[in-house]
Amino acid sequence: MNEISASSFEPLSGQQQSQVIARPSLSYWQDAWNRLQTNKRALVSLYIVIGLLLFTLVGPLIWPVDPAMQDIDQISQPPGADRTAIIVPDYEPWFGTPGRPDSGLQLAEKATSQAVRLQWEILDGASGHRVYRNLFPIGPELSYGIPIAEFLNNDTLYFEDRLDLQPGRFYYVVVALDGRGLITDRYQSIPVDIERVTTLVEASERGLIENADSMEIGDEVALALHPLGTDYLGRDLLARLMAGARVSLFIGIGAPFLFVLFGVVYGSFAGFMGGRVDQFMMRFADFVVALPFLLFMILFKIAFGIGPGESGVFPMMVAMVVLLWPATARLVRGQILQIREQGFISAAQLLGASTPYLIMRHMIPNTLGVVLVTVTFAIPSAIFTEAFLSFIGMGVAPPTPSWGSMSNEGIKTMLTTPHELFFPALFISATVLAFNLLGDGLRDALDARMRSAE
Amino acid sequence: MTANKEDTNVRPSLLIVEDLQVEFDTYGGTVQAVRGVNFSVDQGQTLAIVGESGCGKSVTVQSIMGLIPAPPGRIIAGSARLRGHEILGRKTVGGGEIRGAEIGMIFQDPMTSLNPTMKIGDQIAEPLKVHRGYSARNASLEAVRLLELSRIPEASKRARQYPFEFSGGMLQRAMIAMALSCKPSILIADEPTTALDVTIQAQILDLMLELQKETGMAIILITHDLGVVARMADEVAVMYAGKIVEYGSANDIFYRSAHPYTVGLKEAMPTNDPARQHELKPISGSPPDLFAPPAGCGYCSRCPYAMQICSESPPQNNGLHDHHSASCWLHHPRSGIKPDTLFFGDAL
Amino acid sequence: MLLYILKRVFQGFITVWFIATATFFAMHNVPGDPLTNDRAMTETTRANLEAKYGLDEPVSTQYLIFLRNLARGDFGISFVQENREVNDIIREHFPVSAILGVLSVVFAATGGVLFGALTALYRNRLPDYLIMFLVILGISVPSFVVAALSQLSLVSLNTLLGFTVLPVAGWGTVMHMLMPALVLGLSTMAYLTRLMRSSMLEVTSSDYVRTAKSKGVPPTRIFTRHQLRNAILPVVTVLGPAIAAITTGGFVVELVFAIPGLGRYFVEAVQQLDYTVIMGTTVFYGAFLVFMVILVDVVYGFVDPRVSLDA
Ligand SMILES: Nc1ncnc2c1ncn2[C@@H]1O[C@H](COP(=O)(O)OP(=O)(O)O)[C@@H](O)[C@H]1O
Ligand code: SF4
Ligand SMILES: [Mg+2]
Repeated sequence: MNEISASSFEPLSGQQQSQVIARPSLSYWQDAWNRLQTNKRALVSLYIVIGLLLFTLVGPLIWPVDPAMQDIDQISQPPGADRTAIIVPDYEPWFGTPGRPDSGLQLAEKATSQAVRLQWEILDGASGHRVYRNLFPIGPELSYGIPIAEFLNNDTLYFEDRLDLQPGRFYYVVVALDGRGLITDRYQSIPVDIERVTTLVEASERGLIENADSMEIGDEVALALHPLGTDYLGRDLLARLMAGARVSLFIGIGAPFLFVLFGVVYGSFAGFMGGRVDQFMMRFADFVVALPFLLFMILFKIAFGIGPGESGVFPMMVAMVVLLWPATARLVRGQILQIREQGFISAAQLLGASTPYLIMRHMIPNTLGVVLVTVTFAIPSAIFTEAFLSFIGMGVAPPTPSWGSMSNEGIKTMLTTPHELFFPALFISATVLAFNLLGDGLRDALDARMRSAE
Repeated sequence: MTANKEDTNVRPSLLIVEDLQVEFDTYGGTVQAVRGVNFSVDQGQTLAIVGESGCGKSVTVQSIMGLIPAPPGRIIAGSARLRGHEILGRKTVGGGEIRGAEIGMIFQDPMTSLNPTMKIGDQIAEPLKVHRGYSARNASLEAVRLLELSRIPEASKRARQYPFEFSGGMLQRAMIAMALSCKPSILIADEPTTALDVTIQAQILDLMLELQKETGMAIILITHDLGVVARMADEVAVMYAGKIVEYGSANDIFYRSAHPYTVGLKEAMPTNDPARQHELKPISGSPPDLFAPPAGCGYCSRCPYAMQICSESPPQNNGLHDHHSASCWLHHPRSGIKPDTLFFGDAL
Repeated sequence: MLLYILKRVFQGFITVWFIATATFFAMHNVPGDPLTNDRAMTETTRANLEAKYGLDEPVSTQYLIFLRNLARGDFGISFVQENREVNDIIREHFPVSAILGVLSVVFAATGGVLFGALTALYRNRLPDYLIMFLVILGISVPSFVVAALSQLSLVSLNTLLGFTVLPVAGWGTVMHMLMPALVLGLSTMAYLTRLMRSSMLEVTSSDYVRTAKSKGVPPTRIFTRHQLRNAILPVVTVLGPAIAAITTGGFVVELVFAIPGLGRYFVEAVQQLDYTVIMGTTVFYGAFLVFMVILVDVVYGFVDPRVSLDA
């Protein structure tokens, strides 16, 4: 203690004494925002949500492809697929090439998306043949694929397939028919790799080449770009996802906003009136809660009916609002009752404030935090509801795209072209995930008791 | 002074805590909740630990019981010896459990401190089964007897009830019965009456005193209420910002207060003695930030006697007489203050 | 106790009446007369239906007829499958949905409690992160995608191994039930896991667990006697909504896995606008859910001593 000097024992002046650390006092919202920013997951989710909104609103400006336009050259093409086509002469009818094939089933010429030309020898003891096309090689259970032609005699031993051919590998099968025209187990099968071709006329019609004179047979042309591929009708998936986002997010954000708004009005009115009115109103809310939600969504959709050319978005929103307001109403009423018990409302009442003024000025701002969290959590479930209804064919009516209806279409071709299901499902999942995590973050940030950080 | 000291040397204290230091890791940084605490308790005696809320009282006793949640908590130094055996960070001492058997503990809020879905009797019987190997039947019989001992009427019926069927005072009695079920040598009571009505408070305190007389146990009583201290304590530790700033007998603390903080506490306490009526003077300001404790005396920013040195280096613990000691620069020989003016008795 | 149950059942009937009324008026609002839709229908059927539902009478009379039939437990005759009673349809298809539903609820509840407790025990360690990652996936991926993916993976698994591990679709044996029940219960399980986790964490830091520690109760005993039972309570309270979610979620799963349950039948009825079947099934499902919620409440009364089942 050698540093002790005589002056050490002088009294401290007031200023030196105040070394209390003054923490800046923050408003409720500032404080919540600060806390939200420390929550990494919530912050990332917020960026994802902003990204989704940009995708929906700004996306179509950057990628102005018509979501309804069909590119018949590229049907069900996955992203990154080869998109070149060789120019070939115009189509000419074909009635078999003279001369029998050397052996079994073979291609008469190179298979192209214009035509696949097959010829074969009479199969052992066949009195006719049936031609199948398949996506997979024939397995032990002898599933031949889709029958595309049948010849009940042995006069015709050739076949030309021109049915929406897409580049890729197919398996063609010729099966022997017996005298009664029934299939036997004798068959011949060949794999066929189809090359995409186009003609000069087609190519210039579709705007793939600018000057038909400068191109020759055998030249390559590039087809339109589809960054995320196309669907089973050849529509651009990216453009459809953007258009679908508009519908899905419109329902997903619009419906919760409306029913929460209605719930807030209903709940604060009930909570503020109290007594009999409150009891009656809440009893009614209890009844509405008891309606099985999805069944009534379906019921209302049927009841509204969808006229030709309508998308069915509006009835779906109305049905959601009609069915989903009670949860918010209850919550807000509870909050209002709680706040009413605290002193400041009666203080304001003493000062002669009117009822609407009280609701506007004091109660609603105080319940805003809870309501915000409710909306955030309601969005993913609304998006799910849209997807669910569209999936069972009760949602948004085609051709209007929504992520749900796109998944519904995509699931049918899940085995062959999974990207048609993958992208809409990814968008649904990412949106739902982002709003859920954001909701978690908001709840933690707004919760004055500061839940434990998880 | 000398005679007494030798006495205690002959018969060492039941529990001796030395230089206990505990930290918590939080988002805001490391909280130094307890910064070197020393005290001891003797058999049959009551030690009161007083101080504002947040000063580290609960953390101190919970460290002894091994109840500090880790993480975020961490005992970084110190020792606690029960009859000479180290117990800090251990579960057993000399083959016996510490928690529930050697030391019993009751908490501030009896409403939340009992399992809501377990019958009261079963909760009281639990330590007997765990530590003493009682059969279920004997344990529940003993539980009823313990409830009776805690002055709960219709004990056998009450034992079959759930906590929500009890009042707060009754629950605290049940807590006491539970803490004492294995006849511990020390009872730690962490603000046992803070959550209760005033009339109930007195009953609970009386019950503790009676049971202490019957069993000879030591009590460590935590409170921020000097009234409770006056009623119960033999010795008092005044705690401030994670340190014990004054330590002494109840009389020392009340009539020969040696630390400005103790004086502040007394002035903030209501009294019904007309001779000592004075205006209630709450201590202004707030305790220091335990994330970054000040270099000097923790009380400096609120102390009316603060001196230059108080803000620079921490005061030493100055023994005054007997057990009485205080950590304050005023007691430094060079402070220039005459010893007899140092005790803020009724003069203040 | 008995009085409480009677009271709840009475309230339940009123709720069912409300559901039925809402159903009636929603369907009554359907544009056009359901009978004059261009549906092939013999004259006799038409006459029978008209007489049965009093379709030429005013709405109020139709409503009364509807209620009277309902009170008799008569949901009428299918519009599409003539001569088939809605009751028969429910009787035939509901047991399938019920078995699937019960199995899913069992999956979801045991899985939720188990995983929730695990994540809480291993808080902020690998098992916690792993399970919570899956939970988030389970909550975020739509059920039809999960159903489709699981079917897809069953297909590839069966082809890979060369024999049928689990059948890909259909109904009949326990083997047929496992995959659909798991898929159906998955999102609910995820939700319950989350709930159980936070409930466990809350209980773990509760005062009474601290008290139990201060009594020297060993950790395993604290877990079983003090933590588990209290942590499960919130899970029990949401079983009602969980059952509802699983019931309606069954529509999709039954559709994807080709299971002949009432859910799939309902969706088909909706697509064919089979009005009586739609109305009957809606009221039936509504009543079922109302009484399941009552059942869950009564069960909760037994699990939580603080809730008294007095009227
Ligand atoms: N689990 C914990 N996590 C972080 N900080 C804690 C924890 N428990 C106690 N503290 C800190 O330790 C300090 C002392 O707390 P405590 O001992 O409970 O005070 P009291 O004297 O009121 O009983 C407080 O400032 C508190 O911030
Ligand atoms: S050391 Fe200084 S500041 Fe601290 S209590 Fe004593 S006089 Fe006051
Ligand atoms: Mg405390």
